[in-house]
Amino acid sequence: MDHHHLFDVGGAHLSRLEDLRLIKGEGCYAADWNLPRQAHAAFLRADRAHAKILSINIDAARKAKGVLGVYTGADAVSAGYVKPLSMLTFAGKDGMKARLPNRAVLAHERVRFVGETVAMVVAETALQAQDAAELIEVEYEDLPVTVDPRATLEAGAAQLHDNVPGNMVFEQEAGDAAAVEAAFAKAAHVTRLKLDCTRVAPNPMEPRACLVAYDAGSGAYTLHTPVQGINMMRMQIAAYTGVPDDKLTIRAKEVGGGFGQRSIAYTEYVAAMIAAKALNRPVKWVSTRSEGFQSDSHGRANYIDAELALDRDGTFLAMRLDWIADLGAYLHPAGPVSPMRNPVTCLNGVYKTPALFGRWRVALTNTVPVSAYRGAARPEIAFTIERLVDESAAQMNIDPAELRRRNFIPKEAFPYKTPTGSIYDIADFHGVLDKALKIADVAGFDKRRTISEKRGMLRGLGMSTVIENSGAGMFPKDEVLLEVGSDGNITAFSISHSQGQGHETTFAQIIGDALGIPAERIQLQQGIAEKGLIGNHTGGSRTIVGAGTVCHIAAKKLIEVATPLAAEQLGVEPSQVAYAKGEFQSKESSKKITLGELAAKKPLSVTGEGKFGSTYPNGCHIAEVEIDPQTGVTDVVSYVTVDDCGTVINHAIVEGQMHGAVAQGWGQIFGENIVYDTDTGQLLTGSFMDYSMPKAGWIKDITIAEHTTFGTISPLGVKGMGESGCTASLGALTNAVMNALRPLGVPPLDMPLTAHKLWQAITSAKKGL
Amino acid sequence: MFAFQYRKAKTLKDAVEILAKDDEAKPLSGGMTLIPTLKARLANPTQLIDINGISELSGIEVKDGALIIGAATKHHEVATSKVVRDALPALADLASHIGDPQVRNRGTLGGSVANNDPAADYPSAVLGLNAKIITNKREIAAEDFFLGMFATALEPGELIVRIAFPLPKKAAYAKFPHPASGYAMAGVFIAQTASGIRVAVTGAGPGVFRWTEAEQALTKSMSAAALEKLTLAADDLNEDIHGTREYRAQLAKVMATRAAAALA
Amino acid sequence: MTTIKMTVNGKSCSGEVEDRVLLANFLRDNLNLTGTHVGCDTSQCGACTVHVDGRAIKSCTMLAVQADGADVVTIEGLAKNGKLHPAQQAFTECHALQCGFCTPGMIMTTAALIKDNPKPSDDEIVHGLEGNLCRCTGYLNIVKAVKRAAELSK
Repeated sequence: MDHHHLFDVGGAHLSRLEDLRLIKGEGCYAADWNLPRQAHAAFLRADRAHAKILSINIDAARKAKGVLGVYTGADAVSAGYVKPLSMLTFAGKDGMKARLPNRAVLAHERVRFVGETVAMVVAETALQAQDAAELIEVEYEDLPVTVDPRATLEAGAAQLHDNVPGNMVFEQEAGDAAAVEAAFAKAAHVTRLKLDCTRVAPNPMEPRACLVAYDAGSGAYTLHTPVQGINMMRMQIAAYTGVPDDKLTIRAKEVGGGFGQRSIAYTEYVAAMIAAKALNRPVKWVSTRSEGFQSDSHGRANYIDAELALDRDGTFLAMRLDWIADLGAYLHPAGPVSPMRNPVTCLNGVYKTPALFGRWRVALTNTVPVSAYRGAARPEIAFTIERLVDESAAQMNIDPAELRRRNFIPKEAFPYKTPTGSIYDIADFHGVLDKALKIADVAGFDKRRTISEKRGMLRGLGMSTVIENSGAGMFPKDEVLLEVGSDGNITAFSISHSQGQGHETTFAQIIGDALGIPAERIQLQQGIAEKGLIGNHTGGSRTIVGAGTVCHIAAKKLIEVATPLAAEQLGVEPSQVAYAKGEFQSKESSKKITLGELAAKKPLSVTGEGKFGSTYPNGCHIAEVEIDPQTGVTDVVSYVTVDDCGTVINHAIVEGQMHGAVAQGWGQIFGENIVYDTDTGQLLTGSFMDYSMPKAGWIKDITIAEHTTFGTISPLGVKGMGESGCTASLGALTNAVMNALRPLGVPPLDMPLTAHKLWQAITSAKKGL
Repeated sequence: MFAFQYRKAKTLKDAVEILAKDDEAKPLSGGMTLIPTLKARLANPTQLIDINGISELSGIEVKDGALIIGAATKHHEVATSKVVRDALPALADLASHIGDPQVRNRGTLGGSVANNDPAADYPSAVLGLNAKIITNKREIAAEDFFLGMFATALEPGELIVRIAFPLPKKAAYAKFPHPASGYAMAGVFIAQTASGIRVAVTGAGPGVFRWTEAEQALTKSMSAAALEKLTLAADDLNEDIHGTREYRAQLAKVMATRAAAALA
Repeated sequence: MTTIKMTVNGKSCSGEVEDRVLLANFLRDNLNLTGTHVGCDTSQCGACTVHVDGRAIKSCTMLAVQADGADVVTIEGLAKNGKLHPAQQAFTECHALQCGFCTPGMIMTTAALIKDNPKPSDDEIVHGLEGNLCRCTGYLNIVKAVKRAAELSK
């Protein structure tokens, strides 16, 4: 059955269904919740990167005005809140199991990164809690610090955890080492790159906050926190605390940006549970941005030595990687999983490279713990491959587009089984590339470069052709519940939770399309724990494939379930009933009954479910840059994206996601960078004063085009694309800059390609250094 | 923030008296620096004395060949004032690039100059135009006012009342903003004054300074080309994760070149 | 504690606050107007933007006591008699919001910008948005929305 028709709601002026309350300031974010009798928490955080805690004196804090309680590591240990969930449960090299450090929610005996939660003060007001936190005296004995991700794995580095020798949590290998070795041995050309995919801060605009309540009678907790899916949060909190699922309710409405940073049972939320229970009062905590820089999950931080072996005409023979993932001082539940799993899934990228091998190591450093950040290591593997391809093209003097074409998996080869066992469902890489080359007018680049040079400017063009896995989720299935109102309006419920992706609109479109009723008549509610639904969180670009498809399934099921009910009311056999646009009509007579009328007689609801495997959105991005050699500033003068995300439900939302993700890629390439002092482990980029966030005007325009092949995993043909902008932009932008600078003799540079760095590189190159 | 007492001063005399009696009281003007400082718990004053409403600190007028601006005048007011745009457009232009629109609606000339942040914009205009800082006690020449990072010649409790900018023949300001904070990584104010060309550089060093070599070169020829062969000595410039001193020297040169080109 | 009185969204409001309480927190905690958001602590993100005496300011960088006697307008006060302000209308038309957290501040800045400058160029819009950060949209649709808001205001 063909569901591949366009869902386009049409017109330039689309308003999302969720917009009205948000533009009026009536959204409810984590810090907007309040409960009667609530008290306020403030945290004392480690001011040094690695130290033994010799003593903590909380006497003065306890006596301070308004203080209700002061909690330290001893309380965390008493409560047993010391072992966070880890999803790194699969075996590594030689069957090794991950060495998982413990983490008391308030530091116990040692602190291991600047910002670690050491103590918690709960008081009547937030100001009183902050004042009192300053009165806590901690005596530390400093320990040596390790923050360099490569050096931390070497002998002599400071050791963070007794059960993680050499600071190495996990090692794995994938691919065929022997085949790769053989291929390199006979290669005509080998390209080698050492790539730093820097550590960044996801920085959604909404700072973290929580409001935790405890009911003494039932022993149940209610936690209001930002989420990307309430079930994922509940699972992690349950694992960390031992409190069973049915005693935990997670509540969330609006979530102000996620990008992977939300799906974590942070120590602050769990610590607040201790106080909520001890004081029998709800405990509220709102993070500041500066606190967030020191405690929200960081992202990326992958360091890759990469090699590509090619034959004389540029055919890729083999690729070999040595990959270090810096996960910080402790492990977040999914933190290490992304760099271990995702790059392996797409190890060959869009190419038919026959031999692949990689070694991955998870390293610990005295830094903020790392977790998934938009793309979750898929941008990093795509970046690695596309940098190798581009450098190879330059070194071998082969046109970069042509080199890619020679190695693409051809259209006819799908479904394509990759050397690491992934099955790419369907794609057309040649088509995507050709379209992008045309739209970006690559043919006219040389002329444009000449004009730039006459103005004293450098000009470069770079592309990246990428693919990523999306769709599969770790929960057993996605469920969507549809409840029909007596007015014929539908309320839909899902666990997948939007943090800006516009589910209230896209899900309503999908349901509306299946039911033949306007999307405005469907209201999505996310995060309603009472409905007891199963479902994945929103992340990994999976929601449209997962919950989105299930919206369609649920809608079809509703028609199926309601047909015999309608038949009964109409006094005919079900086979004599036809459904269209919200009503059932008897084929014999003109008698009708609407969904609403059925619901008015008897409650009418269905739960649809589905479980889907991986699908593979892909695309080509082409960036053109102009660099001012006087200042090193890069201006992205053109950015073209051609993406295959399968069926597009809502073009405006897809474009918006692309804008935002490309902006984040641009941010990482040109300025965002979390920097630690190598000697002290102090965070040098701890606020927006030092951490360069993209602002309006970072780019004038992005040209977005589609090249669709319908995904075969979901009956809707969707593939997901929320992260694609990051996956492709890191490579496209870097390749463009290197294309501009290479002629001057500038060697491969690492992100961030700040104005300062580029000016230094250009100046050195000009001096012949 | 630490707790403090907030008081609104009605007159300049009021404000000066309160500050004289309590050496841990701080004057509050726009608050665009002080309030973030207090939020970071980097200062712990006993009292904040709000001087915003004081009439003696307000006003923009041209008198005797100088543009005189009250210390409590907001950046937005300087940026959009017809008087300023007619008499000293470079100053209006500079003010229009301080911070962002919301900051410009609160931040004041006096607050900025008294704070002397090494990356603030106004000090380059004050030094570049050889302005006079008029306080409640005396007049201080620009040359004598800026004493180093966050340090000025102001005595404890002394308040800037207004600043008199002698009108130049022509002036221009060019700024390279810090990619994160938006402050000047190098901001250069060039003025053709009655006593000659002045080139004042902010953002690159620990405080605003005059680039005398550039002044000499531009005196010979007011043009971008005149600066081509010059290099600003980098030794005393700032260095941090955002740029070496050599880079800041380069930025100062490029900004000076742009300002000179505007005056050519 | 100081008693302060101000007009907020056309209504006279008063409250008792410590002198160190920020206007943003007074609006959010004392008056329950949670539409004004706090997104940072270095006065850069602009999510807290409100209008005080007709000018757009960052309410996280102003003390509540400084607003004593002032006329304050927050995002909740922009729509009049159920009719959206052109800035609000434009934002939703142009898909200029995703998660919505930065949006109240963006809209308040936009409303002030088009009042000062009814026909802003793209450059003027970009300059006018320097005090507002967004992580979701990449800003392109926000710039379009400011232009559209100016059109709708004619």
